[in-house]
Amino acid sequence: MARAEDGAKAVSPEAQVRALYEKGETDTAKAFEDLVAKPSFGRVLALSTENIASLVRIGADFADLVLRNLRIAGRADMTRLGRQLHRTEDKLERVLQEVEQLRDELRHQQADGSDAGRSSGTGRGTSRRPEKSR
Amino acid sequence: MNLAQQALRAPVSALELTNILLTTDDAVVGATPREVVWTHRSTTLYHYRSSDRSQAVPILLVFALINRPEIFDLRPGSSLVEYLLEEGFDLFLVDWGVPSEEDADTGLDEYVCDELHWAIRETLRASGAEEVTLMGWCIGATLCAMYCGLDRGSEQTPVRNLVLLTMPVDGRGSTYARWVGDPEFDVEMVAEQWRALPGQAIDFANKMLKPVTNFFTTYRRLAQGVFDGTVRKDAYQPMAKWVADNPPFPGRAWSQWIRWMYQDEALVAGRMRLRGRRVDLRRVDQNLLVITAGADHIAPRAGTMPIFDLVASDDVTHIDRPGGHIGLIAGSAARNQIWPEMAAWLAERSER
Repeated sequence: MARAEDGAKAVSPEAQVRALYEKGETDTAKAFEDLVAKPSFGRVLALSTENIASLVRIGADFADLVLRNLRIAGRADMTRLGRQLHRTEDKLERVLQEVEQLRDELRHQQADGSDAGRSSGTGRGTSRRPEKSR
Repeated sequence: MNLAQQALRAPVSALELTNILLTTDDAVVGATPREVVWTHRSTTLYHYRSSDRSQAVPILLVFALINRPEIFDLRPGSSLVEYLLEEGFDLFLVDWGVPSEEDADTGLDEYVCDELHWAIRETLRASGAEEVTLMGWCIGATLCAMYCGLDRGSEQTPVRNLVLLTMPVDGRGSTYARWVGDPEFDVEMVAEQWRALPGQAIDFANKMLKPVTNFFTTYRRLAQGVFDGTVRKDAYQPMAKWVADNPPFPGRAWSQWIRWMYQDEALVAGRMRLRGRRVDLRRVDQNLLVITAGADHIAPRAGTMPIFDLVASDDVTHIDRPGGHIGLIAGSAARNQIWPEMAAWLAERSER
């Protein structure tokens, strides 16, 4: 009992204030976490998100309209160009993949052909496991 | 330090605190040398070459669609990339880039069926390997699981190992589900209006899960560290810079994510379809390592656990440790705690 009292006395007032503050902060944090986990808060957040998204869209469309009336490319024009570039890039990617696949197949065929030639030439009849195509 | 000393030191501490906050953007993240292997739209595949490669199966790192993948390579001495390179792994990283309005029509089907599929293909080509280890984090882990669970008919996936770090798979019961799970919340309208959801909005929502901790305690602790003289600027700044770097989320991918994860739980129910092909996690038969964090409020452990009831893998390992969504894998203690376990697990399963 006496030892416990000594231990309590050893804690400085500054440390006690700090501990008290941290407890308060932790309790507040927990209370806010409980608050945001409520469905009603979720509803408020969802409605706010919908409203902000709509306002952003209205603002962006208005700014775009002003720019386009000044004969300057607006965001919608840039987006359209960006999408066209994307489509071109998609096609290019698929063509490149086809080319790489054909090149791989050709390489395998050449390797098989040279193996067959070598085996017929030497008469050893060595076999080679075909490479796994990717 | 008594009260008078503290008062005398206050202006210097305030100056130091201001300096830390103002120069955070100058911190260097992702410093490990790498080379570009492949690009498509805003996606880039990077290759980190190990100078002492001893593992046959390369690792492809896949991060979430929110925040940037530099968290894998935060700072020298605290970089998972650096650690795995030292362990002899050849590493590849798929970076989704910074989408904008023109990417509004990019959905999860594009990410899984095109970008990730092609990134794996290029990884195999560049490494000369026949199989790859997929290591996904957060939404990146879910994309990896979707990829492995995708119906491909008789075609085999070239994925030998699947490592899923703090992965959301079942959103039911989470705070997110309470926010966006309400059928009255018009996800499609928000996605259509915004086209690409601003990263700051996503970041704000994530921080609102723990508002006092994220908006106040973090800065109070930093200030206290400065005043006590215990702050580590080199550790604080890279993480703070990474947290504040939020790319937009393509509208279509966002609406699919919310709908399938939080509104109709299509992924766990096996009802999700990408390009008409069903995603069924029962098709996942790779060697599987799942890591969950006990104090994860973004992807709570309870939301990851259903994966164990679904997958068909024979080799399943679950590591659960105390820690947060990011801190567990990228925190200062990770190098001595979780990384060695991950590397050992991978080494056993990465032989030729």
